[in-house]
Amino acid sequence: MKTIVCIKYVPDTSEAEVKVNPDGITVDSSRFSFDINDADNYAVEESVLIKEAKGGEITVVSIGPKKSDVMIRMAMAKGCDKAVRIEDDRIAGHDPLMVAKVLAGAAKGEEFDLVLTGCMASDDGHMSTGVALAEELGVNHASMVKKIEVLDGGKIKVSRELEGGLMEVVELELPAVITIQTGINEPRYAPIRGIREAQKKELKVVKLDDLGVDPASVGPDASQIILEALYIPEVESSAEFIAGDPNEKAEKLASILVKGGLI
Amino acid sequence: MSAESQTFTERYDLLGCIQCGRCTGGCPVTVRANLNVRRFVNDAYYEEKLDELARQAEIWDCTACHTCAVRCPKGLKPLEVLLGLRAMIIESGKVEPTVRDALQSVLLEGNPWEKSRAARSDWMEGLDVKIAEPGVPVENLFFVCCTIAYDPRVQAIAKNIVRLLNKTGVDYAFLDDSETCCGSEVYTLGEEGLFEMLVEDNTEYFNEYSAKRIVTLSPHCFTTYNVHYPDLNKPVIHYTQLLDELLKEGKLVWKGDLPKKIVFHDPCYLGKQGGVYDEPRDLLKSIPGAELLEFERCRERSLCCEGGGGKMWVESESKKERLAETRIKDAKALGADIVAVACPFCVLTLEDAMKGLGYEEEMRVAEIMELLGEFIEA
Amino acid sequence: MGNVLVLAEHRQGVLRDISFEMLAVAPKLAADMGGEAMVLLIGSSMDDMAKKAAGYGVKVMVVDDPLFKDFNADKYQKVLSALIDDLKPAVVITGHTAQGVDFMPALAVEKKLPLIAEVIGLEYAGGTLKATRQLYSGKVNATLAFKPADTYLVTFREGAVEAPAPSSAGTVEKLDSPLKEDLPYRKFVEYIESEVGDVDITQSNILVAIGRGLKEDKNLPLIEELAKAIKADIAGSRAAIDAGWIPHDRQVGTSGKSVKPKLYIAMGISGAFQHIAGIKGAKTVVAINKDPDAPIFAVADYAIVDDMFKIIPKLTEKLKELKG
Repeated sequence: MKTIVCIKYVPDTSEAEVKVNPDGITVDSSRFSFDINDADNYAVEESVLIKEAKGGEITVVSIGPKKSDVMIRMAMAKGCDKAVRIEDDRIAGHDPLMVAKVLAGAAKGEEFDLVLTGCMASDDGHMSTGVALAEELGVNHASMVKKIEVLDGGKIKVSRELEGGLMEVVELELPAVITIQTGINEPRYAPIRGIREAQKKELKVVKLDDLGVDPASVGPDASQIILEALYIPEVESSAEFIAGDPNEKAEKLASILVKGGLI
Repeated sequence: MSAESQTFTERYDLLGCIQCGRCTGGCPVTVRANLNVRRFVNDAYYEEKLDELARQAEIWDCTACHTCAVRCPKGLKPLEVLLGLRAMIIESGKVEPTVRDALQSVLLEGNPWEKSRAARSDWMEGLDVKIAEPGVPVENLFFVCCTIAYDPRVQAIAKNIVRLLNKTGVDYAFLDDSETCCGSEVYTLGEEGLFEMLVEDNTEYFNEYSAKRIVTLSPHCFTTYNVHYPDLNKPVIHYTQLLDELLKEGKLVWKGDLPKKIVFHDPCYLGKQGGVYDEPRDLLKSIPGAELLEFERCRERSLCCEGGGGKMWVESESKKERLAETRIKDAKALGADIVAVACPFCVLTLEDAMKGLGYEEEMRVAEIMELLGEFIEA
Repeated sequence: MGNVLVLAEHRQGVLRDISFEMLAVAPKLAADMGGEAMVLLIGSSMDDMAKKAAGYGVKVMVVDDPLFKDFNADKYQKVLSALIDDLKPAVVITGHTAQGVDFMPALAVEKKLPLIAEVIGLEYAGGTLKATRQLYSGKVNATLAFKPADTYLVTFREGAVEAPAPSSAGTVEKLDSPLKEDLPYRKFVEYIESEVGDVDITQSNILVAIGRGLKEDKNLPLIEELAKAIKADIAGSRAAIDAGWIPHDRQVGTSGKSVKPKLYIAMGISGAFQHIAGIKGAKTVVAINKDPDAPIFAVADYAIVDDMFKIIPKLTEKLKELKG
């Protein structure tokens, strides 16, 4: 099984204060810590589990800066074999359809049976790139997958996680793009000695031109959407303390939960 | 197995063991868990058994308190056999997610708490803190510790030290957010490669500073630097040692009094492992009105709180009473009002135990610096 | 004509809430764009659902064929692809759901149309359609504008708006299925219900978490009743696990599990740093604690300072009442 796993280097903003830069369309990332996107981490583990069971080779593909190499080396320490990192500031990163075209450009240079990627990026959360990538490559796909079984005869059986915990089981012909939901496995740790060993593996850093992707076809002009503004929504800055006697407090909380669609 | 060319037997001097059992006999964890460290030292001699031994859940029960090492008549460190077995699991990558995330956070952000490096010195906000610069001479270079830097419960240790130092006119400086984990828990969790990297990087980092000595706030950092950093070009002391010097020089003057019974809990990394017993006691005794009590199990016989050895990230399966609870009950029996400690982990484990026992109304767990902070003259 | 086509979503014979929520947005948008809102239903034996959807005063179009008995992203894509050509809608809206996300991006690529996903608001002004969506788990909002295109594709977030009440009866029209034969390369196999009693709290949507404040296990039924009323799983702090109130695998925190529920209700949990680290991924945190200085309040979105036992019975009762 030849697998491509597409991963993204994302900021962890769960605890950090997010500030919009004066340009109005980017955020100040100077205080963020960065790591592999959560769902992509599960995709890496799944690719390694499949390789351990069925043999084969795994290629990591990522669009990102030099400092994301540590994330790629960690994936290699876990068992990925080689990597392509695309570093090019001409990509309209706000549009997943453009990102998918770039990834497709990288994938087309590789032989593959399976492309795995996280079902969602924790920063912009479109949940679109993987499924768009499948269409760009002209192959099958299934999204939000919580289980993969490799069947005989060039097929796989996957379980898609639907709302409410229901699983939709689907059979697909390979090659296919599968977007991985968190929880499909338990990602392993990449020990430092493994990361050091992984320095020997091939990591190609390329530009769009190297992939044969026309920069004009994936840039802001090619994108059909424009990022006009980012702003901090005026909610949830701090806790809303619910006042009243115990009964009033309970009633108010109940109505907040129901009206807010939280339950 | 690790990449070392030494065999397990050579590395841990297993043939030096006479199987006297003093290690297991003194191991505080045995009352809670099924851990028999003597047996591991015995069985690890058989190379073919190592994989199986590494898979035993008990190897994660060790708190690295070093009681076994203190008691060993042959001068061995039986616990390190357990850490060596942990290392085999770490190398396989198949570790508990909590351990994985803590270790990865040390690599990426320099702390095991999954906090952003950029936030490491946020505790300094609103304080007048002198920041060290490489090459600029300073007497006392402070190392804060990841837990004190990020956990709001114990940040007062650092904040109060700064207030006290500013008051006494001691020459000091703190590191900025480039300060990186000492690796104490990385070492005990068995991530040998990461620990080697930290030793190398931190040694180089510290050696660029023209400081007379390094002062740590946590005993874990104190012992780790003293034991595992052979190439540091300056001595490392614990802050209670510095304050004790100041006390003896008459530079510490307290305002107000504390008419309470205080019992001091010796942190394993300060006492058994660091040999520092008297300084914290002298500091506590200097508080006007305070009466210092002693646990029956004190000094080198002090009972471990189970905060070390990576236990912040590995929960015991045992349902039996936590050692911290035993300790708090002992303190209660002594009639102590305050359990004083000198370690952030001890604060967390003992306070948790105190709350669990429902003693919050009548008793308090406090780090020495938290207590002293209340008596610094404005 | 600026028609807005809403793809109604259904599963196992029932229309899902998102179908109606989209009808809170589509009619106004269509009016602004000079067209009308229409609902598309794809499935098999759809009469009842079609009637129900038409009860919202919209025109409902139905592609009804046994081939669509079960959801299949590729089939949906083929139908929508053909209907976009036929009907030329100005906007196609689907839910940002396990269905919508499984074909809309592919449809966008196929038809070379723009897509904005997980939208929470849409506005058409001065000839431009703009969408609001969120980044960084809701910490930042983004305004995105579509460049002019024949059809704009949108997936709409579930629960972002309230569904309107049914109004007048609309019309139902059956369309010919553009799909004539089954697809060999993607087959629906079955649905599997999640196993009960085998809870993985890292996957829970709603968690009711207990801490030391529970005091004793005889108080547990109170919590269980609340959890049942809101379909929540029960988790806890280390204190709750230590006390043996709940199983070990329900522990949240650095020595337990990191969870990411939509809603986390912390009751009698003070919120030690080591616990809070495990709920970073929670979307909304509700904290009930009698200590006004409990650190849990620093990460809470909604807070009640009170004895949890005075709050829970009434809360459960009220929630049951409101949820009907």
